Amino acid sequence: MSEPAITRTQVVADLALVEFADAHLTRARMAITLVVLGAVVIGVALVAVAFGSVHIDLMRAIADRSSADHAILFGARIPRVLMGAIVGAVLAAVGAALQGLVRNPLAEGGILGISGGGAFGAIVALVVFSRLGGADAAVPICAFAASLLSTLAVYRLAQVDGRLEPFTLLLVGVIFNAFWGAAIMLVNSIVNFYFTHSIIFWLMGSFEAPTYREVAMVTVLGCIGFAILIARARDMNLLSLGDDEAAELGVEVDAVRRTIFIATSVMIGAAVSVSGIISFVGLIVPHIIRTAIGPDHRMLIPASILGGAAFTVAADLIARVAIAPAELPVGAITALCGGPFFIYVLRREGRKSLAL
Amino acid sequence: MRSKAETATRLRAAIAIVIIAATALAGCDARTNNAMRAVNGPQRIVSLAPAITETLFALGAGAEVAGVSQYCDYPPEVARLPKAGTFLTPNIEAIAGLRPTIVIGLAISSDPREIRALKAMGYRTLMVDDDSIAGIEAGIRIIGGAIGRAREAQALLDRMHLKIEAIEERLRGVPQRRVLMVVGHQPMVAVGRGTFLDELLTMARATNIAAGAAQTWPRLSIEYIIATRPEVILDGQMGTDPGSPSSFWAKYPTIPAVRADRVIGYPEDPTLHPGPRIVQTLELLARLIHPEAFTRDPDAPARIANYSTPHAIAPGLAR
Repeated sequence: MSEPAITRTQVVADLALVEFADAHLTRARMAITLVVLGAVVIGVALVAVAFGSVHIDLMRAIADRSSADHAILFGARIPRVLMGAIVGAVLAAVGAALQGLVRNPLAEGGILGISGGGAFGAIVALVVFSRLGGADAAVPICAFAASLLSTLAVYRLAQVDGRLEPFTLLLVGVIFNAFWGAAIMLVNSIVNFYFTHSIIFWLMGSFEAPTYREVAMVTVLGCIGFAILIARARDMNLLSLGDDEAAELGVEVDAVRRTIFIATSVMIGAAVSVSGIISFVGLIVPHIIRTAIGPDHRMLIPASILGGAAFTVAADLIARVAIAPAELPVGAITALCGGPFFIYVLRREGRKSLAL
Repeated sequence: MRSKAETATRLRAAIAIVIIAATALAGCDARTNNAMRAVNGPQRIVSLAPAITETLFALGAGAEVAGVSQYCDYPPEVARLPKAGTFLTPNIEAIAGLRPTIVIGLAISSDPREIRALKAMGYRTLMVDDDSIAGIEAGIRIIGGAIGRAREAQALLDRMHLKIEAIEERLRGVPQRRVLMVVGHQPMVAVGRGTFLDELLTMARATNIAAGAAQTWPRLSIEYIIATRPEVILDGQMGTDPGSPSSFWAKYPTIPAVRADRVIGYPEDPTLHPGPRIVQTLELLARLIHPEAFTRDPDAPARIANYSTPHAIAPGLAR
């Protein structure tokens, strides 16, 4: 990101940021944090590529293109690690942005009802297209379309007097999420029990057997989203002071909210369409990052992107090897590992560090 | 109020004792066989699972079936029978409305609370095993005994054994093949050890690669599948949606089954049904895994092609 020329808004913004005293951002501090987190991501990814449900000879995998080792490494393991990294990054960045947007520490992608809509779309497509044919191709497309429709509905319903009201947004989102959960259970109980595995697959999330095309699709949408969120990081900082204060400091409050809501929704829709609902990443990663480096969004968003990638790839590694050659749903691992670790951080750091 | 409640409790206890006694007597009757059927009159049977319904019709008790589960669709006559919920969630009220003399379900997949409720309401319930061939055969015998058709049950089992022997005879001398059988590939839920399908695969001279996992229905990793190199892959999703699985498996060309175009669909019905049609499933598996053993059969290729489309099963093997 190139820094824009200093404007009046920026001066005021930087003054306002004096409040985040313990997290005052310098270029050096930012660079060090990102380099350290980047190294963690690369380290975790290398371990995740080296280990899996079966042992492979990495040398042979690279040297012999016709070997099973090559097929496992390049056909199965690397796309999966890449998928885990990009989806984890998206979930954590979205969580960080939404927690600021609705000023609620419990916000994350799932809470806006977007991922529930996506999962519902996936399951309906699965049931319908398994009769018509072409289910594998239709399911991600329908999931993405359903998450966008869900976004549109939440967006329309959360507007009060033409403004996107954080509180209403949160409530509408929670209700949508519960509604989609119920709709999925309804489908589950009327279709053949044969589909139950697939339905649980979408509810618990998984990165099994992704294609490079799917990885590329989520990466492109994810990176556009990251750019938008990072560009709006300063505005998000000011929004956390309160709507009126932010407006006084030159933030177009409503426009910023809309932008962030639409961007995060598309990002979540893309992630859900390929991996199902993976809980907890969007909740705990931003909070852990906050306890470490403070609440400044200019730092929080990029650090959450890296932290989310590392956490999710590590969780997926556990899902792959714990009961190999069988697999666990990665969503169960993120919740099982993330929950206790989150509580530990919370107890150690005390309540103040969770301030948004 | 209290005395009323007490009376009700006593009444319920008395009813329970009568029912237990009646059930015990009925059990004895069944063992003394079909002569008793005339005495007891026709049964009103509620079946909670497709495999049970199939067993009842195969035993010639189709006319005595009063209600079936929502999933029951074989034989076609069951379509017009009243539905009594699914085997996971039996509809207690619908069952009560059918005034059954006996309710029969699968032990493993039934909700114990529902079965308790049915028992508490005084219905005679019978739960049979479905996780092994021995369990399925015992189930046929137990059901036959309970509805006064022990002789028919024995005849059905004899017919099944004859078919099994005929198929095993066909397969004599064919090479053992490494096989992966999945319900669907997203998620990759495979037929694991401790299932009747694993036993059928073994009988069809296949080595089930999913038996390497500890679970009965393991969610296998694609890495493991690439590493274990199955020679034949049976993909259930292909039974209804042939296009998707082919493009899915095409990503993994080192798997021998993919390279040799031996990824084949199978229909969910009757393959996943743990009832008398397991012999049909055995023949299906044998034909898909060892087609060369059936080439003497003039219509074998056509039949194999038909297996990829739903409900196009070779007719009448079990009958």
